Amino acid sequence: MEKNNILKCIAIGSVITAFGVFGYVVNASNMVSYLSEDPKVCINCHVMNTQYATWQHSSHRERATCVQCHLPQASTVDKMIAKARDGFNHSVAMTLRTYEHNTIRISEDASRRIQGSCISCHKELVSQMIESNKSYQTDPDGPLVERRCWDCHRLTSHGSTRSLTTTPNNLGVKELYNTSR
Amino acid sequence: MNKSIALTIVSAVAIVALIFLALSINKHKVEQQAMNALALNSLADIKKFESRSSEWGKYYPRQYDTYRQTRQSDKIEDVLKKDPALPTMWAGYGFSKDYNGPRGHYYMVEDNINSLRTGAPVDDKTGPMPTACWTCKSADVPRYMNEKSELDFFTGKWARLGDEIVNPVGCADCHDNETMALTITRPYLIRAMDNEGSLPYADATYQDKRSLVCAQCHSEYYFKPTEWTDPEGNEQVAKVVTFPWDNGFTVEAMETYYDDREFKDWTHKISKTPMLKAQHPGYEIYMTGAHGLNNVACVDCHMPYMREGGVKYSSHNVASPLDNMANSCMNCHRGTEKELRETVERKLERKNELNAMATSVISRAHLEAGKAWELGATEDEMAEILTDIRHAQWRWDYSIASHGSFFHAPEETLRILGSAINKGQDARLKLRIVLAKYDAADYVVPDFSTKEKAQKLAGLPYEKLVDDKMKFQNGLRKEWVESGKQKGLYDPKAWENIEFKTSYSK
Repeated sequence: MEKNNILKCIAIGSVITAFGVFGYVVNASNMVSYLSEDPKVCINCHVMNTQYATWQHSSHRERATCVQCHLPQASTVDKMIAKARDGFNHSVAMTLRTYEHNTIRISEDASRRIQGSCISCHKELVSQMIESNKSYQTDPDGPLVERRCWDCHRLTSHGSTRSLTTTPNNLGVKELYNTSR
Repeated sequence: MNKSIALTIVSAVAIVALIFLALSINKHKVEQQAMNALALNSLADIKKFESRSSEWGKYYPRQYDTYRQTRQSDKIEDVLKKDPALPTMWAGYGFSKDYNGPRGHYYMVEDNINSLRTGAPVDDKTGPMPTACWTCKSADVPRYMNEKSELDFFTGKWARLGDEIVNPVGCADCHDNETMALTITRPYLIRAMDNEGSLPYADATYQDKRSLVCAQCHSEYYFKPTEWTDPEGNEQVAKVVTFPWDNGFTVEAMETYYDDREFKDWTHKISKTPMLKAQHPGYEIYMTGAHGLNNVACVDCHMPYMREGGVKYSSHNVASPLDNMANSCMNCHRGTEKELRETVERKLERKNELNAMATSVISRAHLEAGKAWELGATEDEMAEILTDIRHAQWRWDYSIASHGSFFHAPEETLRILGSAINKGQDARLKLRIVLAKYDAADYVVPDFSTKEKAQKLAGLPYEKLVDDKMKFQNGLRKEWVESGKQKGLYDPKAWENIEFKTSYSK
C-alpha cells in the first residue's frame, strides 16, 4: 500500500514536471505567437530575414501578409492544418539543422497553395485567362497549366532573386534592429 | 501500480525530449542575439591594424573559423613539372626555379618563405628579391606601412623585414577594426584607380569594394623604382608595387604602358629578349567577363553567405565556388550543379588546349633565338623577333597567370591566348629565315621534355639552390621567428599544424 502511494506521488510529480518543462518550451519558443498572422512571427528565426526583407520592400507589403499568400485562405481548418504541417517541417529542419547548406526553396505543396492565393485575390483579372488557358492546351499534361504566376511575374513579392546573397544587409530588418538595442 | 509506472516513464521521456528541445531553442536564441549585437558593433575591441587574426576571431568566430579552413587547400602542385616548357620560357628569372599552384590564404607567408624564388639570404642585405615580395602575403604589411611609411616598406631586400612580416594575410587586410567596413589597406590600388580614371576610388560603392579588397593583390603589377629621402636624410630607392593601369585595363593597354617605359622584368637567358612577367591580373580579366560585367563581386561567389542555426555570415574560406555550389552558383543559376560543373569543365579544357599550344610555340621560339645568336645573328636581324617574343610571352602569361581566368572571362582569355600563339609563330617564322641565312634551316630544338632537362638548358644550379635554401631554413629563418615572437607580433594560431611542404623537399 505504502509503495503504491510513493509510486503515485512520483507519477504525479513527473507529470507536473513534464507540464512545467512544456510550459517553459512554449514560452521559450514563442509558441503562442505562431497562432497569429503577424509577419514578424516569421522572423522569430533569422532564417527568414531574407524573405521578410524582400517582402517588406515589395508592392504586396501593403496588401498581403506572409500567411495570406502562403496558407490557404478559404477554410480555417485547411489553413490550420497547412500551418501545422509547415511549422512542423520547419521546426524539424531548424532543430536537426538539415537546411543549412541548401538554398531554401518552396515545396510543391506550398507552391500550389500560393498559386491558389494569387488567383483568389486577383480572380477578376485572371478568371478569363484561366478559362482561355484551357483552349490553348493541346496536351492536357503539357507545361502551360503547370506555369505558376511568378514564373513570369518574377519580381512580385520577393524581388528578382531571394537568396542570402542578394540581401547582404538584411540584418537591418527594422524590427530586429529595434528589439536588440 | 502499473499505471503509475507507465505514467512516470512517459513523463520522463517527454521531459528529456523537451529539455533537448529547450536547449536547442536557447542555443539558437543565443546565436541570434550574438549576431544582432555584432551587427550593431557593440562588442569588438580590436587594435587598429591588428595583424594577428586570432584577436579578431575572438569576436567573429565563424568568419575566423572559415578563414582558417583555407588550410584545407594544402596540396603542392609543381607547375614546372607539369609543363616543362615553363622553365625554358622563364630562363634567367626566378620563376624557372620554383613555381607551384596556389595554396590557401593560411599558407601565404609559409609558401613565400619556402619558395626557391625568394632565395637564401644570410642577413638582412642579401638575397635576390626586394621587400615588395611581402606586399600581398601578410596583414603585417599595412601595420608596418602605418608605423613607418609606405616608401620605407618598399625599400631594401626581402630579408630586411623577415621578423616584421610574420602572420599571413588576414582580417586586417580588408577590414576596418572598429566598423568592420571593407577598407583598402594598400595605397597603390587607390593610386592606380585614380590614374586609370574609369572608377576613381572615391566613387567606389560597397559592392565595388567587395571586389576591390581582392584586387589589392589579385592584379597585375610591377616594381616601380622610386627615389626618396629617409628620415635620417639618406637617399633611398624604393621598389614600389605599381599597377600599370594608366592606359586602361586591357592586355594591349598594359603592353603599351610597359613598352613606352621600355620596362623589362628581366633579360631572357637564352633568347636575350627583354621580358615582361605578367602577375595574376585576376581583377582585370574578371571585369571583362559575364560576372564582372554584371557587377557580381568576387565575394559573392568566393565567400558566399552561409547559415549556421539562426546566424548568417559570409564564409571566409576563400576557394573555388565549385567546392560549394549550393551556396554560390545556385543562388542565381537555374539548372543543376552537374550541368554547371560540366560547362565549367569544358571552358577549362578549351583554355588548356590553347595554353599548351602557346607554351610549346613560345618555348621553341626562345631556343631557336638562342641558336640564332649562337650562329652570329646581328641585333638588327633579331630586333623584331625579340619584340614578337616579348609580346607573345607577355600575352600568354597575362591570360593564364590569374586564378580561373578561363572561367572569369573565357572569351577574353582565349582571345589573348590566340594573339600570343600568333605572335609566337610570327617570331618563329622570322627565326627560320635568320637560321636559314646561317645554314641552320633544319635546326631542331634540344629536348626539354622534363623539368630537370629544361632547368639544365636554362643553366639553373638547382641542387645548389635547394642546399642554400635549407641552410636558410635552419638558420636565418629560425632567427626571424624568435625575433618576431619577442616583438610580440607572432600569432601562434596562424602557424598551427603547418607541415613543411615544398616542391623540392624530399
